[in-house]
Amino acid sequence: MRCHKAKDYISQEMDEHLPPDVTVNLTEHLDSCADCRRFRADLLLGRRAMSATTPELPENFEWKLQLKLNQTLQRTAGETAYPWAEPAPDNWRWFRNFGAAAAMGMAAVLALAVFLGPDNVPGESGQALSGGTSSGVVRSISGGAGNTDRLPLFVDQSRRGGFYGVGSQHPVSAGGFSQSSGSRFFDRGWSGHNTNDLRTIQRLRIQNSQLNRDLFQQQQMIQGMRGQLDTVDTNALELELE
Amino acid sequence: MNLSRDENTNGSPAPRRVELRDIRDEDLIVMVQEGHKKAFDELVARYKGRLFSFILRMVKDPTLAEELTQETLIRVYIHAAKYREIAKFSTWVFTIATNLVRNKMRQRSRRPRVISLNPAPDDDEMPVDPPDMTADPSEGIHREELANLINDATSRIPEKYRIPFLLREVEQLSYEEIQQVTGLKLGTVRSRINRARNKFRQLIKPMLKNETLLHELERIEARAAEEKDKDF
Repeated sequence: MRCHKAKDYISQEMDEHLPPDVTVNLTEHLDSCADCRRFRADLLLGRRAMSATTPELPENFEWKLQLKLNQTLQRTAGETAYPWAEPAPDNWRWFRNFGAAAAMGMAAVLALAVFLGPDNVPGESGQALSGGTSSGVVRSISGGAGNTDRLPLFVDQSRRGGFYGVGSQHPVSAGGFSQSSGSRFFDRGWSGHNTNDLRTIQRLRIQNSQLNRDLFQQQQMIQGMRGQLDTVDTNALELELE
Repeated sequence: MNLSRDENTNGSPAPRRVELRDIRDEDLIVMVQEGHKKAFDELVARYKGRLFSFILRMVKDPTLAEELTQETLIRVYIHAAKYREIAKFSTWVFTIATNLVRNKMRQRSRRPRVISLNPAPDDDEMPVDPPDMTADPSEGIHREELANLINDATSRIPEKYRIPFLLREVEQLSYEEIQQVTGLKLGTVRSRINRARNKFRQLIKPMLKNETLLHELERIEARAAEEKDKDF
């Protein structure tokens, strides 16, 4: 028997798992091999040391076990009569917390967008609304028609004027309450500008460019007519009329 | 199940009182299934030390080992009804313990180890063990050194070899029982125990050359033999 095979068998022999015939061969090998004898002695010493150094439990182990077992049984049974018992885990708690936090965050963002907007000046609002036409009336909190120092509540729709005196269905309002929607929350974009005003300005720019084009054409026509007049013999024309 | 029979009043010899310690583990767990709490206490008394020893040598952390030992025994109680006598009770218990240890070690390998800056104990109300004033201090030091060396050597054996090795060396389970606990083939169990022993031998070489530690080992064994004689 070779040593590496004998070392395999030594482990099985220690556990009494070796067949009798192999045990005889191993014993013969051990008698003649000091190295394998030392190997076996080391393994047996290791086993002795292992069993000699068995760790000891703490004295209060059973007390703690009883306590933990009681808590587990209470939790398993769903008992809530004991105030010291740990509550059952709440799986939806994070959702509720997150939902509340998300709602508060949204409210804060909306509040910032509304109240920190660049055009939110009540005094200017009243002036812009009432200054478009002499007949425009703004009713303030105090009810005075021309009082622009107060926050305007609403504008008389029937007497509302347009921008620069031009009749328009969407008058400019630089802040305050919108006349069309009744709420400034929906009249503003994220930049803080009043979206109704932007639409009105864009429409007026289109109208102005159209007017400029018409004016240019009319000027061209007048100039052509003047040229024709210069070439006509006015004396002959006057004689004909007479 | 009536364990303690009353004495007969007619003078006939009283039947022998059946002690819990004379009952097999497999019968005790059946009694637990029937609601006998004393039977569970007896099982705890039998297995708490074995489980703690096995788990401590696996995780190398006394607090965690105690926690896992408690968890194993609690699971035995909670799931007692699931036990069927197709395997030995010890095999069932060590299967539970091995699974718990494996799960915990897997968790620990995934998470970085956190060291608390506040070492205040959670259980202030726990009774404190008084120090043993009769013991020789130098003896305690040598014993601790020996225990540390053995625990350190055990913990350095790779996990897949360590489980069958400890089940064999510490718990003295048979190869077949280790096969049931670990789910390995019999040949694999045998070879892993063999490899673990060789590794363990290499790791405890400092002890094998240290005369003081060898002397301490003999002293521990002599005292254990004396205590065993006293019990008988």
